[in-house]
Amino acid sequence: MPTNSAVYAKYWGYWDMIDSEFAQNAVQLILLAMVVLLIPASYRVVVGPSLPDRLSAVDLITTLLVGIIVLLAVIEETPVVVEMAIALAAFAFIGTITIARYISEGRYF
Amino acid sequence: MLLELLGVAALIIGVFFCAVGVVGVIRMPDTLTRLHASGKVAILGLFGLLLGSALLVPATALRLLVLGIFLLLTSPVATHAIAASVYRRREIAQQLDGEAGTDDPEEGSDYAVDVTAVLARSRLDEIMEALERTQQRRDHPDSQ
Repeated sequence: MPTNSAVYAKYWGYWDMIDSEFAQNAVQLILLAMVVLLIPASYRVVVGPSLPDRLSAVDLITTLLVGIIVLLAVIEETPVVVEMAIALAAFAFIGTITIARYISEGRYF
Repeated sequence: MLLELLGVAALIIGVFFCAVGVVGVIRMPDTLTRLHASGKVAILGLFGLLLGSALLVPATALRLLVLGIFLLLTSPVATHAIAASVYRRREIAQQLDGEAGTDDPEEGSDYAVDVTAVLARSRLDEIMEALERTQQRRDHPDSQ
């Protein structure tokens, strides 16, 4: 019974598992660094003096979350997780455009 | 092994640019300069992460390519929309204030205009005018 990643590896002609301990530890450390970066990014959401500051900080946080989801896909070795990152990027784009129009023109559309 | 080393190097480059963007968002003095810092994260930082992930797990490469193209299309548009909102809000504040118009309390203005409240009130005025016109047309259908 081949596992999912084995099927992918046969399909792509590559090895698919992260073999070495070094790469696993490095990816986990980088994921930890990305999660820690969320805290100073949310500082600008709380004390940002004007409204576009807060909006751009929320946009930055969603960008960091897309990177975190991609790193989770690397750790779990399941490529389907990347599609969640695509969906999050799409919704963040729509939300940012809408709020930017609202705070500059007073209406959404 | 070489692919893993290259992938981890690309991941480290991506995290470095993300950290630079976050530090810039915290420490830059102005709204537009903060936007300049946060616009770098989506392109440089995330593309380092995407390249490293594609090298570490090659099965994700096609989806990461789709995500990269999508980010390349949408992230400058979002940053430009925020910058345009900053510009328009500054313009409205200048029209209300006269000369030293800003809605940023840190820029040293004597008072800060609440642009969002002004916009909401003008929108409310438009809605009330439309309601009045509708009621007039309903009450006196032959007047126009």
